[in-house]
Amino acid sequence: MGMPLPVEDHLITMQRDLKRALAKEPGHVRWTMVIDLARCIGCHACTIGCVAENKLPPGVVYRPVVEEELGRYPDVRRRFTPRPCQQCQNPPCTKVCPVTATYKNAQGVVVVDYDRCIGCRYCLVACPYNARTSDFGEWYVKGTAMAEGKLVGREKAGQGYEATPAAEYGRQWPVRGQGSPMGNARKCHFCLHRLAVGLLPACVTTCVGRATYFGDRNDAASLVSELLGSPRLRTLKPELGTQPAVYYLN
Amino acid sequence: MSRRRGDAEMLKSQAQAPAGGLDRRDFLKCSALLGGSLALAGALPAALRLAQAGEAHAQDQATGAYVHHLPENQIMSVCQQCNTNCGIKVKIVDGRVAKIDGSPYNPFTMTPQLPYATPLKEAAKVEGALCPKGQAGIQTLYDPYRIVKVLKRAGKRGENKWRAIAFEQAVAEIVEGGNLFGEGPVEGLKDICALRDAKVHEALAKDAAAVAGKKMTLEEFKAKHAENLKYLIDPEHPDLGPRNNQFCFNWGRLKGGRSELIKRLVNDGLGTNNAHGHTTVCQGSLYFTCKAMSDQFVEGKFTGGSKFYWQADTGNCEFILFVGANPAEANYGPPHRMPKVTRLQSEGGVKIAVADPRLSKTAARAWKWLPVRPEGVGALGMAMINWIMENRRFDARYLACANKGAAKAAGEPTWTQATWLVKLTPEGKPGPFLRASDLGIAPVKRPKAKAEEGEWEFDAFVALAGDKPVTFDPNDDKNAVTGDLLVDREINGLKAKSVFQIYKEAATAKSFKQWAELAGLEPADIDEVAWEFTNHVERAAADLHRGVSQHTQGFYNVVVWMFVNILIGNHDWMGGLAKATTYGYDGKKEGQPFDTSKSPGKIKPWGLDIIRHGVYDKSTLFQGYPAKRVWYPFATDIYQEVIPSAGDMYPYQIKALMIYMGTPVYALPAGHALVEILRDPKKIPLIIASDITVGETSIYADYVFPDLTYLERWEFSGSHPSMAPKIGPFRQPAAAPLTETVTVYGEKMPLSLESLLLGLAEKLGLKNFGPNALGEGRHLRRQEDMYLRMVANLAAGEKADGSDRVPAASPEEMEIFIKARRHLPPTVFDAARWRAVVGPELWPHVVYVLNRGGRFQEYAKAFKDGQLTNKYGKMVGIYFDNLAKTKHSMTGQTYLPHGDYLPGPADCTGKLIEDPGYDLTLITYKAVTQTKSRTVGNYWLQAVYPENRLDISAADALRMGLKDGDLVKVVSASNSEGVWDLGPLGKKPMAGKVKVLEGMRPGVVAFSLGHGHWAQGAGAWEIDGVALTPDSRRATGIHANAAMRLDPVLGNTGLVDVVGGSAVFYQSRVKLIRV
Repeated sequence: MGMPLPVEDHLITMQRDLKRALAKEPGHVRWTMVIDLARCIGCHACTIGCVAENKLPPGVVYRPVVEEELGRYPDVRRRFTPRPCQQCQNPPCTKVCPVTATYKNAQGVVVVDYDRCIGCRYCLVACPYNARTSDFGEWYVKGTAMAEGKLVGREKAGQGYEATPAAEYGRQWPVRGQGSPMGNARKCHFCLHRLAVGLLPACVTTCVGRATYFGDRNDAASLVSELLGSPRLRTLKPELGTQPAVYYLN
Repeated sequence: MSRRRGDAEMLKSQAQAPAGGLDRRDFLKCSALLGGSLALAGALPAALRLAQAGEAHAQDQATGAYVHHLPENQIMSVCQQCNTNCGIKVKIVDGRVAKIDGSPYNPFTMTPQLPYATPLKEAAKVEGALCPKGQAGIQTLYDPYRIVKVLKRAGKRGENKWRAIAFEQAVAEIVEGGNLFGEGPVEGLKDICALRDAKVHEALAKDAAAVAGKKMTLEEFKAKHAENLKYLIDPEHPDLGPRNNQFCFNWGRLKGGRSELIKRLVNDGLGTNNAHGHTTVCQGSLYFTCKAMSDQFVEGKFTGGSKFYWQADTGNCEFILFVGANPAEANYGPPHRMPKVTRLQSEGGVKIAVADPRLSKTAARAWKWLPVRPEGVGALGMAMINWIMENRRFDARYLACANKGAAKAAGEPTWTQATWLVKLTPEGKPGPFLRASDLGIAPVKRPKAKAEEGEWEFDAFVALAGDKPVTFDPNDDKNAVTGDLLVDREINGLKAKSVFQIYKEAATAKSFKQWAELAGLEPADIDEVAWEFTNHVERAAADLHRGVSQHTQGFYNVVVWMFVNILIGNHDWMGGLAKATTYGYDGKKEGQPFDTSKSPGKIKPWGLDIIRHGVYDKSTLFQGYPAKRVWYPFATDIYQEVIPSAGDMYPYQIKALMIYMGTPVYALPAGHALVEILRDPKKIPLIIASDITVGETSIYADYVFPDLTYLERWEFSGSHPSMAPKIGPFRQPAAAPLTETVTVYGEKMPLSLESLLLGLAEKLGLKNFGPNALGEGRHLRRQEDMYLRMVANLAAGEKADGSDRVPAASPEEMEIFIKARRHLPPTVFDAARWRAVVGPELWPHVVYVLNRGGRFQEYAKAFKDGQLTNKYGKMVGIYFDNLAKTKHSMTGQTYLPHGDYLPGPADCTGKLIEDPGYDLTLITYKAVTQTKSRTVGNYWLQAVYPENRLDISAADALRMGLKDGDLVKVVSASNSEGVWDLGPLGKKPMAGKVKVLEGMRPGVVAFSLGHGHWAQGAGAWEIDGVALTPDSRRATGIHANAAMRLDPVLGNTGLVDVVGGSAVFYQSRVKLIRV
């Protein structure tokens, strides 16, 4: 009668999987994400959680969620599709980079070397998933009021959440306005800086519907490996041969 | 980091990491929680291997700069981006809030949450899920348009022109009064609340009640109290109470801790009876129906019900029918309830159904969407009752229990009144309960619980068992009495029916098909849902929210739907209906060290309040029917009544109004009608607001005091009905305060609600604040004097022997505690001062609780033997004797005493409102990215959902020739111009863009709440003669509340539920006009 009480939250299970993966030879790990569309409630917590974690400026988004309405009244459905970088194992974006600033790392994550990136945006065009955006140096607080001693004001607000870039790739970046990642192409990197310290990507831990799974697909005991066996499994635009490391369960 | 960088550079970047940066060994340690050591071959070699692996994994990046995961950079607190109040982990880097995630100790963001004893070091690396609003909370803290200094109006009310003034000046002006605005004298609080002698209050209150009860003549009263008549609002009507009542405190969102402080000042200190909340704008009739349902039979009366309600024990249901509820977007839902729902669906194959005119995100994930007519939600409930009764799918064994003894024998935690007999009136209508005295059995005298109060007469209730009347005491746990469900006969010459019979007759007054038609649904769909609902014994629930309660017949809708639940007897069962349970913090439990209710000189407020929570014909104001405005004997905190009643000065004038964290102009249906009242200083001469910014209501204030955001302050956030474990969460200062520093009682503190309350108390010389206010040597001069003692009470536990006291923080955790607060200034945090407040003995235990952001029962301990541990455990009332005996102030008729379908919308006299020519019903909903009035400045959220629209069905779009993006204005019978008339700011057209959807019931137009602002930075604003740059991103979209129907009788208030008090959101007829 009824489901048994949950023994542990999936977030804990996946964090244990992560710990195990971090203990392996890095070349043997293949970071993989599985998104169960039947569990996605379209809350956009992942989108905003990612923006907050990576302090993304206006115009830059790593993980949008696409909302669609299907069918006719009263037989209507809504579909929510989170669409991060698909972390292609055959990525079209890296091939067009004139300065080899973007490449697939040893665990299969497509990363951007902000120090090399010249902001040419070839990669934005090359990506069939529209997963890359450019950082044009915009500020959320731009144009807001200033009234010293009466309001918090633009400057303090800006210092509060956008002047100091996030520690993407585990690095301290210069104050915004003085260099990278401003001017660069930006994209999802599976929160490598979090993985390194034993945390799951921000979109995973803040997934309200527990629709987003993450782990090492080379670890048969991991939750993602189990899900990869699902008959509901698919990838986006498989016909392009990009071989995404992001999978969907329909 | 580039792959081309050498090790040397990597080391350099590590060396440059900020103080408190990553200790590499730290992250390599395998925590027991995550089972790292199990996964590896052996402790030491494993650590070595891991070290190597860690370095190699860092190939694409350095590891030194990221410090979010270190416990000394985290404070566990509670979110307030909406009223769910999820546990949060606030991560601080370089003295600023860098990120917010879910607290793993708090069951709102993880199921099960981490064991309470988990060390901070382990919990530091675990985070629960938060919704997008929670993630964006950092932008509430660092909002450019937050005010940091007190503002006094410089122009006319509502012009949004201000002068920044010193806190001390503002407090002095409010207390002393004077010619404050160059418009003539204004009375200050010291004169409005002049009578401060608790004994005089008591004497006046007693005799004023005697006058109203016709036990004393007015002349006798006047003679006896001649000296003190000057303290009364109106000596001709002493039951209106003292002039103190002309000070009114009205709050929006308020939780524990602050609530006690406010009551201490407003009620105990200033002696006003007018401290009112906002409940009726939320789900008032859900609260007040359940309050009536939880009334128990105590010493001859039905009384003592709690203002609360039930929700599904979400995680354990086998079927949930969400009715007018949308946990995926609101409804205390997303992080707490939706992971449970998606788990049930995807791992347990559990079905979810949703009744909502709109295909909400919850409905989008449901097995079945019932696009019910907004006005037909009660009819859907009646269809369910009809089906369940006709198909005999109810829990007859549970329903037969007439008293506690019977429930006990049946293994049921609760019992109800299905078998109780009711007398019929001469017209054949159900009246009060049949009593033993009606059968000629004399009542029995019993001693009262407080023996000194004498005796009361017990007159038993009656059920029919077999063919024989049986009398019983509902609270008798020894003599089990069960009765027949269907009874309709004469007993002792009296016509009587059982309560179940009354419901059956109501539910079969129409056929199942007719009910379905009224609900606007296919009978086959309801049939399937009803079958599913009754197919899981107790492990199913109809989970209700605003879509049921915010109707003119909200009270009855809620009773009907709660009766649907009662038919399967699901109260207190796992997967059935649950209630909120919290740890006490006020110090009233044995074993708790600090009684925070001690309040020297405490006045007991008395007299009729401004919202008339009383009985009209029992007051000296009674002058026949209808009354001038509605009286509310069964509801409190009637938000929509406060300002309009003040405007009508009925029953008296409000001379000073203080509004805290509330914006009735924006939040209330037809809130535009308040503008005319608020802008007129002759109606309410003094208006004070405590706000984060100058919002749509504080724009009409005379003074606005900046408050701290939830990230900078304390509050005991309580729980919600769907939370099965017992919890005691609280928010605590996590961010450094951004408001000005002020001095009160000689202490420096940030400007906030607390400093305002303390400042007023100091100026007024109130005895229940300041030195020794909480007992000898226990001062109340700072916020933590109250709040830390409340935390200490949580830490000490509720048992006299101290056996449930929490452990003491270890030296390591003590160090983390202090380090994590290194960015907080001494105006907020001082370890030695904090320790002194609770004493050195309790301090380590207090720190243990502070480190975990509260106290939480383990999830598994919330369930036992298929039932909930934290039980309601009492009678669930379904027939309301009090309603049958009380007269409605507008009609002089008694209220309907049971659940039934009532057509709507109706005005406050019960007359149906037709509004021909208005072809759409306007409804509202919450988008997950906005919280009604206060998240529009969260720019991240605005990026995802930049503007709301007017959602209409494809069929209506075709009919009206509208397409996506067309600009239309919303007009109604009470706002034919389709504007917000903002007084000095002019008229704002109520226009928005159309969104055409398939997932919308034809005939309905919906908009999400949270957009369409004109204040809080969205529009023109001036301080000290300097215009502030407005931000157009804050003004996007439409707020269509002003199209909601004004009650034609009241004129300045939206439609109301006269019983449950709800403000009506879902029954206004409107039309859209292309602009």
